[in-house]
Amino acid sequence: MTRRIEQGVERGSRITIFVDGAPVAAFAGETLATALIASGRIAFRRDGRAALRGLFCNMGTCSECFVQTAVPGRAPRRLRACLTPVADGMAIETGAGPDG
Amino acid sequence: MADFDLIVVGGGPAGMAAARRVREKGLSVAVIDEQQRPGGQILRQPPAVFRVAGWLAERSYRPVKAELAAFEATQGIAWLGGRSAIGAAREGDGFVVHAAGPGDLLRVAGRRLLIAAGCYDLPVPLPGWTLPGVMSAGGVQAFLKSQQIVPGDRFVLAGTHPLMLIVAAQIIAAGGEVAVVAFDQPRSRFLPIIARRWTSALRHVGTFAAAAGALRLLRRRGVPVRFGLPLRSAHGVASVEEARFDGATVACDRIALCYGFVSQSDLPRMLGAGVAWAGPAGGWRTLHDDWMATDAEGLWIAGETSGVAGAAVALEEGRLAALGILRAAGRIDDAEGAAAPIRRRLAGLRGFTELLAAVGDPTEALARPNPPETIVCRCEDVTQGAIAAALADQHAPNAIKLATRCGMGLCQGRSCEATLLRQIARASGEPEGARGGFTARFPIRPARIGDLIESGTVAIEATNSSVHAD
Amino acid sequence: MIVIGAGLVGSAAAWHCARAGASVLIAEAGHPNIGASGQNAGSLHFQIERRFLENGERLAEEAARITAISRIAIADWAGLETALGEDLHVRRDGGLMVAETAAEVALLERKVAREQAAGLGTRLLDGDEARRIAPYLAEGIAAAGFLADEGHADPRAVTPAFVRAAERAGATLRTETEAVAIARQGGGFAVTLRHTGREETIRAARLLIAAGAWSPQVAMLANLHLPLFPVALTMNATERVAPLLPHLVQHVGRRLSMKQTHAGNILIGGGWPSRLRRGTGGAFDPALRPEPIETSRTENLRAAAATVPAVADMNLLRSWTGVTAITADQLPLVGEVPRMPGLFVAAGGSAFTLGPTFARLVARQMLEQDRAEADEALAMLSPARFEHLNGFMG
Repeated sequence: MTRRIEQGVERGSRITIFVDGAPVAAFAGETLATALIASGRIAFRRDGRAALRGLFCNMGTCSECFVQTAVPGRAPRRLRACLTPVADGMAIETGAGPDG
Repeated sequence: MADFDLIVVGGGPAGMAAARRVREKGLSVAVIDEQQRPGGQILRQPPAVFRVAGWLAERSYRPVKAELAAFEATQGIAWLGGRSAIGAAREGDGFVVHAAGPGDLLRVAGRRLLIAAGCYDLPVPLPGWTLPGVMSAGGVQAFLKSQQIVPGDRFVLAGTHPLMLIVAAQIIAAGGEVAVVAFDQPRSRFLPIIARRWTSALRHVGTFAAAAGALRLLRRRGVPVRFGLPLRSAHGVASVEEARFDGATVACDRIALCYGFVSQSDLPRMLGAGVAWAGPAGGWRTLHDDWMATDAEGLWIAGETSGVAGAAVALEEGRLAALGILRAAGRIDDAEGAAAPIRRRLAGLRGFTELLAAVGDPTEALARPNPPETIVCRCEDVTQGAIAAALADQHAPNAIKLATRCGMGLCQGRSCEATLLRQIARASGEPEGARGGFTARFPIRPARIGDLIESGTVAIEATNSSVHAD
Repeated sequence: MIVIGAGLVGSAAAWHCARAGASVLIAEAGHPNIGASGQNAGSLHFQIERRFLENGERLAEEAARITAISRIAIADWAGLETALGEDLHVRRDGGLMVAETAAEVALLERKVAREQAAGLGTRLLDGDEARRIAPYLAEGIAAAGFLADEGHADPRAVTPAFVRAAERAGATLRTETEAVAIARQGGGFAVTLRHTGREETIRAARLLIAAGAWSPQVAMLANLHLPLFPVALTMNATERVAPLLPHLVQHVGRRLSMKQTHAGNILIGGGWPSRLRRGTGGAFDPALRPEPIETSRTENLRAAAATVPAVADMNLLRSWTGVTAITADQLPLVGEVPRMPGLFVAAGGSAFTLGPTFARLVARQMLEQDRAEADEALAMLSPARFEHLNGFMG
């Protein structure tokens, strides 16, 4: 499991995002990738063989971490989870499906 | 009419060093970076709302942190963070760079362009490397440095690059567990190389001290550091559960791969700058003159864009590029005099860079054959077998791309180009990169079509604002 | 027979000739399918193209005659996957050419009437009818011409399949082999080919130039003019998305063609220019990678999003340019060059949709099999219409 480092770290305010419909706690400032893997979701999509895939480079280069994001009042966007900061109420759809 | 005298792509050591010095001479400067805050991969800063005690306090980070502090204190640089430079083209007497953010797309126009876009971990295919939980070592390190998380329980680090020691020590220090640090190359590789280049080694005792300190910590915590232990495959059902080596299987929930780094080269190639294939890890390094100018008029580069050489070289190249740009703009009198000590320091650093490259040389690891079902192109699921079949007919990278879809996906070939070009070289008997690589196409990062359509209409609000970290 | 160019038309013509028992050599300067055959977006479009409609009624009337070839091509595509024994991802779920403004609707009506008179099965739909077939279309679409025979195929698959079929039938393919001289010899030709610096001269009774935008340069070796002009076109691909667009979608008033590939990417093109580069001699050099034009890309995407609004929320994956060639009158150039009997050409655009047909018919001419029928079908495309240009050549 992924865990947040507690010692010596003050985070932003607690917020809630929704991942594939389920509420997930996160801290302002974190990236979507952090919020996802800290909640135990390390698969972000399925490939052409339906195999699960997770993020690889964590720096915007490999494009493995594209997820569908929706902020209320704005058109949905497919963004790289590793670069995108969380926002309160943001709805994320991974492509990983129920077993992801 | 250009918005800026200089556009800098990349806010790492090279970009910060150049932008600050050019700004201090009165030129207008915009810096575009994919991260929210400056610092580059070496200093992946925590989010602005975080407070982190003793962040990257190790001695080896001091010079880059000093540059970061100076950059953040410089007034009047337009910081366009959280934006990807997805394309660049000539416009008027300068350039336009398309900077895509999560909500819109800016057209940033500038008289001159400096690309200091850094590098990324060399992707090395092996069976199971597409399982969730298998990551690049740089990606794991970025989670630790910036997001302040330990992104797993039990890590295996595997590869050839000495950075593995630092990352493993950072995982341990943050309370994580490292099952093994597995160097592909034998221990006997290290000492003779260091002995041959001991003068370089001595001059960079600080870097060695960091590696040695990391090694001591790992030993103290009982973390096995093995040499001559190549990672063969990763296994698991929904995510990685074990790493298999010759004669050993290690249970883990994360594997961090660390075989070296390749330059981000899409933008210089898109603009037609001369490039050369960089050995042994691969990737395209952009060619430059004594002032870091490329053969494309008005285009400068600095840092890993010129070839992967680390943060110390990047800082010096950023300083040199700034002098070159100021010289071209007629804003400096004695550029030669100012450049002389930088060039001396760069010459001194060269030996160390070569030493590091020799120690971490991934050639043997990269030559190891994979089974035909191994995925090479992660985006399009193109296998080793499909590439081998295409190589029987032809050796042109773009033709193989067309035939197999290798390199046609979201990453634009960054994950597979080095692998493919190595295999082309093996099949054709020609040097790596002899037939060029994939064509760099707009957009170098996927971008929302609605934003592209509206891109002409978004104003740059950050113009001439100071650097804001929040 | 020697075929110069292993694109779609060259490899298909080689297949037909080899099947009929001819000994065939394909000389390809690079590799099969690396030119327009592989770079185009794979439309199977049989409605009269927008480019024929925007330059006045007279040209539109003349261009309507190409529908006769389109009807043959519809039949040819229907049997192609079976004949080649390969999956070419041919989808023929129909094509819509849409109109937004009143003027566009009027133009569309005239176009559909012309097509119906020529025997094409195009139907005119109003906006609501069009949206019933194609719910992804924008509210602003006021009418559409629908032709059930239209669709798309995979340019990555078609030419390689023809090459394999040609080789199976006995044709020889030589890649990285450039034609450097063409001389008349007896009743035929002596063609000098260069491969890795070594030259070899090979005799052939018939010669087919099917080198796309490079065809004029090849013809120069025989001291002939081919009135072909290179054009560089912009194309765009979205990321892969769930099935949305089963049809080929075109626009009668805007430069636009859209389709979704087998893999899921939506390809967006429609004839937006890129900038050709000039070679050392000053002339356009189709071998140099053309420079993208930003407004072409943006306006192409704007037209796409205005027609299929869902596209605006998709990510653009890649833009690229491909070089093709068009003739002075926009109609392709297919057949024997009267000035030089035995020398055939097949080039000049529309050669994905119509390429298999051009190849089959020109092969008949070369083989002298049912030649009269092939001559008649290709009459309007014959190089004879530009023969005055070669009056002092040859």
